[in-house]
Amino acid sequence: MGRLVAAEWTKLLTTRVWIGLLLGSCLLVGGFAALFTAFAGNADSGIAPVGTPPYEQLALAVSANANILFVVLGIIGITQEYRHRTATPTFLATPQRGRVVIAKLVAYALAAVPMALVVMAANVLVVSVYAGAKGDGPSLTGDNLRVLGGVWAALVLFTVIGVGVGALLRNQVGAIVGALVYLFVVEGVIRSIPATQGFYKWLPGGALEAMTATFDLTDLLSAWQGGLVLLAYALVFSLLGTLFAVRRDVV
Amino acid sequence: MVDPVRVDVQGLTKTFGQVRAVDDLSFTVEPGQVTGFLGPNGAGKTTTLRMALGLITPDRGGTAFNGVPYTALPEPMRQVGAVLETAFHPARSGRDHLRVYARAAGLPVGRADEVLDQVGLGPAGRRRAGGYSLGMRQRLGLATALLGDPAVLVLDEPANGLDPEGIQWLRGFLRHLSHDQGRTVLVSSHLLSEVEQTVDRVVIVGAGRLVRQGSMAELRAGAGSGDVLVRSPQAAVLAELLRSAGATAVTTDGVPDGLTVSGLTTAEIGARAFTGGVELHELRAHASGLEEVYFRLTAGSEQYAAGPAGKDAA
Repeated sequence: MGRLVAAEWTKLLTTRVWIGLLLGSCLLVGGFAALFTAFAGNADSGIAPVGTPPYEQLALAVSANANILFVVLGIIGITQEYRHRTATPTFLATPQRGRVVIAKLVAYALAAVPMALVVMAANVLVVSVYAGAKGDGPSLTGDNLRVLGGVWAALVLFTVIGVGVGALLRNQVGAIVGALVYLFVVEGVIRSIPATQGFYKWLPGGALEAMTATFDLTDLLSAWQGGLVLLAYALVFSLLGTLFAVRRDVV
Repeated sequence: MVDPVRVDVQGLTKTFGQVRAVDDLSFTVEPGQVTGFLGPNGAGKTTTLRMALGLITPDRGGTAFNGVPYTALPEPMRQVGAVLETAFHPARSGRDHLRVYARAAGLPVGRADEVLDQVGLGPAGRRRAGGYSLGMRQRLGLATALLGDPAVLVLDEPANGLDPEGIQWLRGFLRHLSHDQGRTVLVSSHLLSEVEQTVDRVVIVGAGRLVRQGSMAELRAGAGSGDVLVRSPQAAVLAELLRSAGATAVTTDGVPDGLTVSGLTTAEIGARAFTGGVELHELRAHASGLEEVYFRLTAGSEQYAAGPAGKDAA
């Protein structure tokens, strides 16, 4: 299994997808962090002033917005095999296809660990410098640290979910569009309709909030439960993908 | 020399929707030889190879490499090397492509450079595979198959996109791998002429069924001696000479000075003309002999047969 994980890392590092997604994540997160800080304490914005726990935890959780790019990383990690037809040499090298899926889950989870750290470092840097300039930079202790830990784990888990979704759908464009539509449209609708609101906490978006927000008023799970929910989604998608999609004939 | 591996295809059957792509197909591939796997487009060659390698699940039947199915081989890339299509990530260099599969197979990554040199792709190894010509892609595919130094090589249409020089190189390379090193080589092609000089044995399929398997010598015997085309300014004299030498049929060929001769080889005709003092302008065997046998064997098996014009073009 170790050599299959190493092969997946070689695949990842020999194209530039990871650089693009990492830079994109840093820009997205840095931009949002600057925006939140700029409007911190502004009465109309609803954002608490710098130096208060609500502002600090909100600003440090901005990295969680990179979850969509980490999902895309996982999706590309598996669907590129079909898009570029490298599924053929990959499955010739490892005819036990379930092992390929497991190797991808492990390889992308481990690859997401440093990538998420880099994104969070960009976030922390922007917040520390900007909020510091406005009077009070956040300390990386207590609840602030807990928020960062939650974001870190969530980004890793969303990458793994991406691998699972990719295994199930196989079509790269379809999987990415599906993930975007789901995260930006479907969950928003479910969350806004009173009848389905209670269900939201069991969805990936609700689980993400549970892991990163400490002041949210909506009904959420605890952080570790949220993590387990995300992990469960990743494993269920991967299992279904392996059983019904990855095993199909490669013609 | 490598340890010999025999490939046994037993009763492979696969239906896609309403189409029976491969129908109870059985044949064997022996070590130390190049076996041609021939058939027109759509005859089920690629489907058969993919079933043999565990990429497509057959409805019935199976394939064994010295008794073991591909999916049960402990180190498949070290025993069987396959080129089924020229599939690479376009942004990845050829060398990196090879390193990926060297890692996956637990081989030293240095193998990537060795096989690049082996197929003559060394200088292009660090370039993006997306910029490779078709011939370079074929070579990279072959390099991938050679990574594990396998005893069996399975190549699907490897001559596609190769220039004449490349085809000649491939011919020599495959004969070296099989005859000198004892490997089992299976090469598919829809053109007999493309592999005629490379293969020792042929397995011919049409419409998913086995049409013929045997050595090239047996196939040639079935083709008969073949006709010979001769042109001479003294055609009438030559015709007389050849008839007396035992030619079974001599016909004027439509073109002025042309004769089509049956029952004599080019060497025999040349000898008669020389001793008879007849000037020759052309002397060649009708290339169609073997090709005609192949065509006859597979005729009518094409799934999407074109009209007469299309057949002429093919």
